[in-house]
Amino acid sequence: MQTAKSVVFEGVAKRFGAVTAVDRVDIDVKPGQFVTLLGPSGCGKSTTLNMIAGLEQPSEGRILIGGRDVTGLPPSERDIAMVFQSYALYPHLSVFENIAFPLRARRRRTAKPELRERVTQVTAALGLDALLGRLPREISGGQRQRVALGRAMVRTPNVYLLDEPLSNLDQQLRVQMRSELKDIHQRLGATMIYVTHDQGEAMTLSDKIVVMSGGRVEQLGSPRELYDRPANVFVARFLGEPGMNLFEGRVDDGALRAAGVAIAADRVGAGRSGGLIAGIRPEDLVEAAPDKAPIAGTVRTIEFLGSRMLLRIDVGAAIVTAFMPLGARFAPRQPVGLAPASPDRVRWFDAGSGKALN
Amino acid sequence: MSGCWAAEGNDAVKIAARILTALAALAAAIVAIGPIAWAVSTSLKRNNEIFLVPPSLIPTTVTFDHYARLFHEGVHWNFLNSALYTFAAVSSAVVLGTLAGYAFVRFEFRAKSAMLLLFMASMAIPGYALLLPTQVLFVQIGLFNTPVALPILYAAHIVPFAVWMTRAHFASVPIELEHAAAVDGYTRFEAAWRVVLPGAKPALIAASAFGFLYAWNDYITSTTMIDSPDMRTLPVALIFFQGFHGRDWGALMAGAVIATLPPVVLFLCFRRYLIGGFSEGSVKG
Repeated sequence: MQTAKSVVFEGVAKRFGAVTAVDRVDIDVKPGQFVTLLGPSGCGKSTTLNMIAGLEQPSEGRILIGGRDVTGLPPSERDIAMVFQSYALYPHLSVFENIAFPLRARRRRTAKPELRERVTQVTAALGLDALLGRLPREISGGQRQRVALGRAMVRTPNVYLLDEPLSNLDQQLRVQMRSELKDIHQRLGATMIYVTHDQGEAMTLSDKIVVMSGGRVEQLGSPRELYDRPANVFVARFLGEPGMNLFEGRVDDGALRAAGVAIAADRVGAGRSGGLIAGIRPEDLVEAAPDKAPIAGTVRTIEFLGSRMLLRIDVGAAIVTAFMPLGARFAPRQPVGLAPASPDRVRWFDAGSGKALN
Repeated sequence: MSGCWAAEGNDAVKIAARILTALAALAAAIVAIGPIAWAVSTSLKRNNEIFLVPPSLIPTTVTFDHYARLFHEGVHWNFLNSALYTFAAVSSAVVLGTLAGYAFVRFEFRAKSAMLLLFMASMAIPGYALLLPTQVLFVQIGLFNTPVALPILYAAHIVPFAVWMTRAHFASVPIELEHAAAVDGYTRFEAAWRVVLPGAKPALIAASAFGFLYAWNDYITSTTMIDSPDMRTLPVALIFFQGFHGRDWGALMAGAVIATLPPVVLFLCFRRYLIGGFSEGSVKG
């Protein structure tokens, strides 16, 4: 039984011709952590994962797995397991043979009885016992996903890499597989690096999230840290459903002012001449009297979400989102006033750099 | 009611169309199988029965004399020559074509498009147009009338087709499969061998079948490049039974039957892959 290993990125960059896909990234994944690389399409997260796997070579920097420099090593010598977005099951092999495939590789050829035992253990844990003789095309999407996981779990690699493994499943199955993944991680205690553009998955699964954009790491931290204290406007907007409301304006008379907005900016506004951005999460806005409220607008739409409502409100040229309790009465085109639930819940950013100030 | 009439009318048209299709298929089958049946029949008839009027498909007395005569004349050695040349040409061409087809899909190299175009264009050039210059070249480099002359020329003809067929297959295999195999502990070659190649079976069989038919049936290249009787191929050897003083039709037909057997057996064994393989090559890539 191997122990979980750390993964360290030291100034890793990847360039494809003139395009920089990953720009000098430093990441430190501790043994046994579940770390998610999160970002929109084209942010470099899959390239980063492929570099850990050895499927792409970094243009500069070093990658260490368990303290060993693996930068120049081929995938087969890194002892990693990977689950692909497309599952990448071998179409001509049965479920059993797909899962047994890593154990038949020359470098870790396993004796037949042990191979059978290990495959049986994994398939029992994943509920695949009845499908062992089937070909991948003869099983459902969820089952294929499990086979792909089984192929990764059948050996005990240094690190598990998962490239959007749930993106091809329907919503219900995705939620189910998400909790199964969490369970597997806790049971194995393995280091897992997960790639997704779905922040819900990232938030629920991860010990640590690496938010990426344009090949750079925007912020790295626990889901809670990232949600409560986004380092910049990109992370503020990207995390949360919907993302943080951002109000850009100038400080005048102790308040950030823009069309329909006058938010007290005593703490960060003093002596500032440049623009400021105030960020408030939709759940941190409460209703206030429209004539005295720091944020005034008119209701555009009301969405019923079961336990609460989501209001979209026109404030100047911007659209502000706010969660409201079910008891509150609103109607489209109705004037509405909003205020931060508390001054602590307002996150301030520099309008020029987009970086957080508090 | 009118709907019923219309439906009945449609049924009548459908039945008529089916009958016509069946008749057309039967006619095509007779055209295709007729000569083979006649050759088999003639090869089993005695000489005095071959030109009997009215002709009969079923021999009154079955004889294997013509086959015995072929063996007596040593035609089995020519059969062996054909088999060896064909095997050497097809196996080397398919191996080379597969490697090249893989390289065209998975590797980036200079002038890749131009090279691919060259490969494909070479299929459009009639090989016979190049025969005489090739003969001159082979004489100059000492390959004329040697056992390697025909395998080399046949392979050169088959390789572009093998590249075309296998490239179409490799292009349809997601790169993730090879990546998965690499992560699972396999080298690039092992990954291609164990993951990509098994799916290419129809393409490989189709390319082999094309190559086999071309090499096995060739006459012109063989007569141009081989001079010695002991190195002759089967089709060339059989021509000598046409004789200078009247044709030996019985032996000729027995030879034709022997020459036809291997392709027919191969087709029957691999027809499932052949049909799949050819359609794959035609719609993918």
